[in-house]
Amino acid sequence: MIKYPLLVFFALVTTRSFCQISEIKGKVESHLKKEKLVGAFVLCTGNGHTLNTITDQDGEFKFRNIPMGSYDISIEYVGFAPYQIHVDLADNKKVEIKIQLEEKGKDLAKVQVYGKLNQEDETGAIQKEKHAPNIVNIISAEAIEKSPDINAANVLKRMSGLTIQTNGGADEAYPIIRGLDPRYNNTLINGIKITSPDDKTRYVPLNIVPSDLLGSIEVSKTLTPEMEGDAIGGTVNMVMKDAPSQETFKVLGSLGYSAIFFQRKFMTFSKSDIQQQSLTERYGSNYVAQPDDFSRSNLDFKQVQPGPNSVATIAYGNRYFKQKLGFMVAESFQNQFYGSNSIFNQAAPDIHANGAPTISDYANRQFSTQQLNNGITVHLDYAFNDRNKISLTNILLYTGIAQARLIIDTSILGGNGGRTVPGTGPVSTDYTSVTSKQLLENVKLDGKHIVSNHFMFDWIGVYSYAAKRVPDYADLSLNKKIDTVHTNGDIHGPYTFITTPNYFDDITRIWQHNQDVDVSGMANFSYRTALGGRKSMELKVGGLYRHKDRYNLQDQYDLKPTTDASGIKQQFTDIYSSQWIVYNTGGTEAYDINNYHAYEDIAAGYGEAKFSSTILDAVGGVRVENTDQGFKLNNFNATGINGIDKKYTDVLPSVDLKFKLNAITNLRATYYAAIARPNYYDLVPATSLSATSATITQGNPYLLHTTSNNYDIRYELYPRTDEQLFAGVFYKKLHNPIEFAYISGTTYMPVNTPEATDYGIELAFTRYFGKYFGITGNYTYLNSNTTSIKSYYNLAANYVNTDTLEKRPLQGQTDHTLNVSFLYRNARKHLFAELAFQYIGRSIGLVYPIYGYDYYQQPQANLAFSAEKGLNNRHWTVFTKWNNLLNTSNKNEINNILVSSEVTGLNFSFGIRYEN
Amino acid sequence: MKTRKLYTIIAFMATVIASCTKSGNETTNVVTPTVPASNPITPGNISGFVKGTLTTGSTYTITGDLTVKKGDTLASQQGVTVVVTGDAQINIQGVLLLVGTSASPISFNSDSKQPGSWGGFQCDSAQAVTIKWAHIDNTGGPDPTGSPRKTVYVNAPISVDIEDSWFTNGQDDLIRLSNGAKISVLRNTILCSGSTDGEAINLKTGVTGDVAYNVIYSQAGTGVKLETNDLVPIPQTNVNVYNNDMVSCGWRRGQAEPGRGVSLGVNARGNIYNNIMVNDYEGLEVFVDADTANTKYGNNLFYASQDTYQDTTGGGNLTISIRGNFYPSDGVGKPQLTDLISTAVGNMDPMFKSFDGKVATPNGASTSNDYHLLTGSPAIGKGNANYNADIGAYTSDGKGNQH
Repeated sequence: MIKYPLLVFFALVTTRSFCQISEIKGKVESHLKKEKLVGAFVLCTGNGHTLNTITDQDGEFKFRNIPMGSYDISIEYVGFAPYQIHVDLADNKKVEIKIQLEEKGKDLAKVQVYGKLNQEDETGAIQKEKHAPNIVNIISAEAIEKSPDINAANVLKRMSGLTIQTNGGADEAYPIIRGLDPRYNNTLINGIKITSPDDKTRYVPLNIVPSDLLGSIEVSKTLTPEMEGDAIGGTVNMVMKDAPSQETFKVLGSLGYSAIFFQRKFMTFSKSDIQQQSLTERYGSNYVAQPDDFSRSNLDFKQVQPGPNSVATIAYGNRYFKQKLGFMVAESFQNQFYGSNSIFNQAAPDIHANGAPTISDYANRQFSTQQLNNGITVHLDYAFNDRNKISLTNILLYTGIAQARLIIDTSILGGNGGRTVPGTGPVSTDYTSVTSKQLLENVKLDGKHIVSNHFMFDWIGVYSYAAKRVPDYADLSLNKKIDTVHTNGDIHGPYTFITTPNYFDDITRIWQHNQDVDVSGMANFSYRTALGGRKSMELKVGGLYRHKDRYNLQDQYDLKPTTDASGIKQQFTDIYSSQWIVYNTGGTEAYDINNYHAYEDIAAGYGEAKFSSTILDAVGGVRVENTDQGFKLNNFNATGINGIDKKYTDVLPSVDLKFKLNAITNLRATYYAAIARPNYYDLVPATSLSATSATITQGNPYLLHTTSNNYDIRYELYPRTDEQLFAGVFYKKLHNPIEFAYISGTTYMPVNTPEATDYGIELAFTRYFGKYFGITGNYTYLNSNTTSIKSYYNLAANYVNTDTLEKRPLQGQTDHTLNVSFLYRNARKHLFAELAFQYIGRSIGLVYPIYGYDYYQQPQANLAFSAEKGLNNRHWTVFTKWNNLLNTSNKNEINNILVSSEVTGLNFSFGIRYEN
Repeated sequence: MKTRKLYTIIAFMATVIASCTKSGNETTNVVTPTVPASNPITPGNISGFVKGTLTTGSTYTITGDLTVKKGDTLASQQGVTVVVTGDAQINIQGVLLLVGTSASPISFNSDSKQPGSWGGFQCDSAQAVTIKWAHIDNTGGPDPTGSPRKTVYVNAPISVDIEDSWFTNGQDDLIRLSNGAKISVLRNTILCSGSTDGEAINLKTGVTGDVAYNVIYSQAGTGVKLETNDLVPIPQTNVNVYNNDMVSCGWRRGQAEPGRGVSLGVNARGNIYNNIMVNDYEGLEVFVDADTANTKYGNNLFYASQDTYQDTTGGGNLTISIRGNFYPSDGVGKPQLTDLISTAVGNMDPMFKSFDGKVATPNGASTSNDYHLLTGSPAIGKGNANYNADIGAYTSDGKGNQH
């Protein structure tokens, strides 16, 4: 139902025309502020035609080459009342209209047709931030496309309050929001929680999501009752490209290179002989494995010059049947070669310095990784009428990784004796080849129904699937020893090094796969009414039920070298001449503690009230989440716990207040309660021995879920539709936070520390100077506090207390984070350039078991550059992206000793894009 | 408190060791207790949770992993035969009490009698472990991650008595004791264990006690290894290692990780006296990271029955000087004046009753050496008297190894 606005100014201007056919041209602006509105949806019907477009950077639209006749033009823009105008167009005439949309306020009184806001361009994103009921930061597809970033992880690290946690070798990447570890956040696609392809956690790696599929990324830092409550840090919602309002066709391709491979070669191995299934899967559990059942070519490493990195994306969208049916398909393919060179030195207490850390091992690591991402999204929506709409979205993300690792480790302390002088000692050389395939699919069917002028009903059904398969993880370890010999018999005289041959130590082969399936249903029912005097109210109730089922299977084989007649193990020359016996011929499938089923059933319901007036929007209510969570080991474990079932219910109140101080300023104050559930594998009490130190990692079945109270205040200023300034503070208190700690000094396990506090300041801004220059950025200061269980030593007094508590920041919490991007845009020449600088402060990389010390990741500065230039006909754009211009290394220190340093090198690409 | 009661029982048992000792004209006759047949376990197949007593003369077949729960005891009378099938292991969370006698020992072996064919005693969180006069053979089959298992593994601050027993053909560490265990490892014979890795007696993380009168032959790695955990510097591992014979140890791991007769590393301390080391890859190694200030050693006899060993693995031909490795050059241990160090074949030969002179032999090989000392052995009377007047596992006072 379209209402004619009360205040409309329009001018009808007839100009002389030079062409044969007529044209309608218009400019849309806001009524109060007289500001151009970018991205408004304009629909033109009449004379047997249906046309639509979106207003451009200047708030203007144009329908060209249309025949004379009578047309209805309607305009929609979120936050504004819809507008409709009738235009009679004479032959060879141009009609120019000026439209002012009235800011909405009282319009919540009645249900409207679905507003259309193009969030994929930057001003749309800013409008959404402004009008959102809660505290949210949004980055648009336009900003992503123009940025140096190629996947969701790259994009997110530039957002206010976020950093990205990566596991060595630059592979999996997870968000840390406001200093809170990935376990305290959740990740959504199109507003729906997605399953994780990881075998142990519930996190979704963000580096598998190609940025070209993204419509926008929204990070919600406060929750409303209708949002899922397991987001103490926040919610990352990756919104995929939606069906456009007019035909859209886009193709892009780019080629690039990782500069680290100008300095060294890429280590690779053959994948042709890798068996996808383990021996017990292929031949049954009674099969007796033979030495020849294990391939050799995936442990035959070759040094090659890798090919270029390539990215190709194709996207097409349109609307059919008088705009009723929308369709969008996007496919993105990325083939990346990257590598890292690092040193990784383990620390151990120095007994000559009262246990202060000293380096116990010195290791050089070289990783070479090829990552292939292939993502497809398909979206269909159908509007039966203005009041009923259904849509179907399918997202499929495939990632294939092949990684070769070379680790050369010299022990300085411990083991079978350390080094005597630099360059000596036992040296182990470890070669690993890993291939993995991850598949993530999310099918969502949803509908929205306006039942009457006051009632609305919407529902969502989701099937979400994630799986990972790691066939034949192969690890070969060799060892040798380097000693000194004195060259002239004088034990204080000159010496030279002698080295023993490399011995074949052992080979480990692991087949692992896991699968996670979620089935979810959601329904919401809302009632809206006017309260008189430009006030309105919405009452909403809804619920969610989700059943999750996941399993993990692992089968491991240990190959030991055959020995000579005297029982001595053999020297290693190459993998093809190595001979081995299968030590456990039946595999570990029948008794492996990594074989488990986990489940999680979540039932949630909420009641929410939304009040809106010209000066205040308030949303508040209560959400109740009931969790049934647990696991069962597949194999009977006589010595420990075989399964756990946990049940808990949380009542999560929240209130979001938004004071609209004036048309361009909001002041928000928010409280919400949230939770974090233990990761599935955190509960499984399986122990795994560390290969490198005398420690074990173990799950904790008695782990409790974390609860928190969160408080936020944010000031928002929107000077223009493309500019913003945010300044906020927050405070969080977590009860039973889950942190890893060393129990009794050697057992590394997740435990509940009594509490943690986390507070910080966030600033974010976007500002343009004149026609060409802009600057966008954010600054975050974070401070958190929790306690670790540490061992305290006083060696002189022979005193130890293994349960000493030490205060420290949360793992991964950085102190200062600064992002600044300098933008150059020249609309006339279609030229855009961005230089992005990032500073990330110090954070705890890993907790050290001894009181007084932790591993700290050192501050980093990064610089990235991107630019694009539209070619003459506006359809073609050439672009380039440059990352890590400063060749930044990722360093960790403990007690001022450098323990690790990783370099990944510069990465660059050039590409071309076509848009219709 | 149940635990305290158990400790009392064990302390009592320790004082009534099956031997006669003479001091002047006083004779003490120690009587070995007979394990009472309370809760007798019916002979035949057993698996799952068990408690009670394996009764004398009976044969049992373990068909699946056996678990003794916390507070429960698995005891064995003398002369019990246990056959383990299917790579099963015995998990002890309570008390293990195997008491055989010299005349009628207990036997644990697999049905296949192949090296590495069952799992051994996994006593990680046990309350007490006592093994006396028992044959424990062919242990070390793969664990849930495919790695070889230790034969007796204790990871708790409890009393561990392993005495007068025979262990053969294990795969990894034979006896691994850690985490504050208080140990008496006395008069055992450990033969041909460790496939291509593993120590015979591996002591870590705050273990204290005595390792004495043991014979260790052809271990893949080190005979007796002392270490404190590299992340947990105290409590220190502090063990007296005396009057042991370590013969032909440390070869199967290869030159890159040679095994030693005895090694001390990472903040461990000990008293290393009166041991005989023959034909070991390396003899006594005190690493630079050991607690060198508090470690004492001496009166050890080092001998090589041949000058060199020709290591021909992998087509190579490397000459290893056995005598050159008595105190290896990468350690900080130095020859002591009280040591008996051979300078040539024939010099300081300990004069075992029979010795085939083999250097490296395979895991699971048969051996029939007899390490009693012949009259005239230089080891006799040269020991540190705080431990024993003689050097070696077989001493003239009869306190030594009884096998």
